[in-house]
Amino acid sequence: MEWIDWLKEIGLPVEDAKHAQTFINQYEDTIKTFVHEKWNEYLPNQENELPLINDSEQIENRIELDEMKFGESTNQGKENAEKRETDFLQLQVKNKHVTVSNGKVKQKYCFLFDAEADFPGIENVIFEGLETIGLQYNTETKTIEGTPTQAGDHKIIMRYGFKNREESRPTSLEKEFTLIVNPDPRSLWKNTPTPLDEEYYKPDEDKAFVKVESKTTRKLLGLKQEKEARKDMVAASQRGRSHAHESKARDDDFKLYFDDASEWYVMVVADGAGSAKYSREGSRIACTTVVEVCKAKIFELKDIFETQITEFHKTDSNENRKKIGDSLYSIIGTAAFKAVKNIEQEAQKKPILMKEFSTTLLVSICKKFEFGWFVGAFWVGDGGMGIYRKEEPEYLKILGEPDGGEFAGQTRFLTMPEIIQPTEIYRRLRFDIVSDFTALILMTDGVTDPKFETDANLNRIEKWHALWDDLNGNNEDNVKVDFSDDNEQSADQLLEWLNFWSKGNHDDRTIAILF
Amino acid sequence: MRKLPVYLVLDTSGSMTGEPIEAVKNGVQVLLSTLRQDPYALETAFLSVITFSSSASQIVPLTELSMFQMPDIQATGTTALGDALSLLANKIDSEVTKTTTEVKGDWKPLVFLMTDGSPTDSWQKGLTEFQKRKVGLVVACAAGQGADTKVLKQITEIVVQLDTADSSTIKAFFKWVSASVSTGSQKIEAGGVEVGGLSELPPPPPEVNIVV
Repeated sequence: MEWIDWLKEIGLPVEDAKHAQTFINQYEDTIKTFVHEKWNEYLPNQENELPLINDSEQIENRIELDEMKFGESTNQGKENAEKRETDFLQLQVKNKHVTVSNGKVKQKYCFLFDAEADFPGIENVIFEGLETIGLQYNTETKTIEGTPTQAGDHKIIMRYGFKNREESRPTSLEKEFTLIVNPDPRSLWKNTPTPLDEEYYKPDEDKAFVKVESKTTRKLLGLKQEKEARKDMVAASQRGRSHAHESKARDDDFKLYFDDASEWYVMVVADGAGSAKYSREGSRIACTTVVEVCKAKIFELKDIFETQITEFHKTDSNENRKKIGDSLYSIIGTAAFKAVKNIEQEAQKKPILMKEFSTTLLVSICKKFEFGWFVGAFWVGDGGMGIYRKEEPEYLKILGEPDGGEFAGQTRFLTMPEIIQPTEIYRRLRFDIVSDFTALILMTDGVTDPKFETDANLNRIEKWHALWDDLNGNNEDNVKVDFSDDNEQSADQLLEWLNFWSKGNHDDRTIAILF
Repeated sequence: MRKLPVYLVLDTSGSMTGEPIEAVKNGVQVLLSTLRQDPYALETAFLSVITFSSSASQIVPLTELSMFQMPDIQATGTTALGDALSLLANKIDSEVTKTTTEVKGDWKPLVFLMTDGSPTDSWQKGLTEFQKRKVGLVVACAAGQGADTKVLKQITEIVVQLDTADSSTIKAFFKWVSASVSTGSQKIEAGGVEVGGLSELPPPPPEVNIVV
């Protein structure tokens, strides 16, 4: 009987062989699965039939049974039984879903694949398709191993034979499965420079080192000369991977200044809002303006301000505290005001809404006194700023509160009308006097998000210890920033350090350190 | 790291037998291999597959894209959509981290639901459960003419329909899903904002019709 007649006999209205073939093609897998299921149901119901043959002894038994049952000649019976078993086992192997774990390019791969245990009755297993992707099968350890070289969904063919079957040697049967190799995410990120003719062009990276040389002081009535090392400033700013991928400009900025005459340090870091069109210019205007104004204001107020600081050090009273607050307001507050004014002017020139220049702002001004360091600060938006001392007694003071919302991107910006109010500015000022410190650090959220994860962690000194270790070379890339005095290389080192890899964190990164 | 959870809720009832279920399997493979090429998705997207027939089961728990393995699926049984929705609600509770003062939680999950028929269970109960959860975008796909778009419209505003449940149409749908997941992960990684609605997704291909 032709197979098409057989289909007709079971009631299918097939017209011709072509029509029937279309039907079979469409439902091939389903039919196979169905037949397979029915076969499984059928087997246990058969008297004297063994449901699953998985070793040679059982196969021999089975053959004997066949011989007894059918009374056929020995050879014929053996062949028939073997054929049936082979078909059955083959179907079993074919239907079993093989899963091997996914690999990653350039990362060692090892997966235990004991085919003979997974598929009882098979032997002489070899794999095809592994070598071309940098892998091989280790027959001793029964592992697929090596270091994948190519990403993709790779088809691997497993060739095998059945035990004790003359006709299936050499290994002529095959099963295909997929081995997925993930690309190295780093290789997927493009790094396209920002077009030079871009409006408000800004280099994709920036760095600075402000060397403050040792000071010679005369002690003991001027008889003995002493060299006193003074802290230096270093900063670096790196465009984020997501910006680099899309050829967009860096939105972060920074500016450092040391006043030789008065010995005041000024550090500013700003992060332009990702959603604002010209935030890269907003952050730049903020940084330059704040340094300019601080410089002028410190020159104007330094005598009275320094006296207030000395007085406060002697007597920590509310009155003395307020005086310093007022002076800080006159210096940094004025600077912040002026920054907003300058941004407003630029926005009016375009003209465009000022929020297109949205930026955060972190400012610190400090000076070393005989009794220790005075540090004043102002902070709007996310990121982080703190005074950190590694050595005992350990010390950490966070100079404000990050304005992080429940979700990323809900931070506050300098350019918001509610921020640039006198009381709000005053509320955001901080100061501290410390005998000494390891580092005063200002960072944008491109650094704090990966290194501190949450705002709450910013207050945990362990996290600062980890950050300082990390900066000093304890990281997977072994990039070390050498914080020895007057090390001008530290700017390059810091810029390189900023390239650290952190999954899902691709924002612009800026960090400024006084050490 | 804050993950972007993506739930694929797929109908594997008996009516999906044959070409449709094969197309869905292929579609998921296409989705995976496309997303693995996208640096944004590769780093943030986590995927889970929930299938439903006579009952619902989560065949792949929420898994990092690079580790994801698609198991074999078979089409059989009825259409327990309600069961799928309550299972989805439970899984969102247990697998998606909520934001607290100590921890920045995950992004709101994206849900892609696909069915070719009408629910055969008391689906409203499951829907009530599901609606109590905070989710991002929910896209329901009616695969072919047999699907009940009225029911889907009650689950989400965003309902799309495929004229036929053949392999090229289903593939087109999954390509669109993968483009949507890419958009979603890019939005959060580059700007820290989530996808708000259909208008922010890539335009669907001609095979995928928006049900108004």
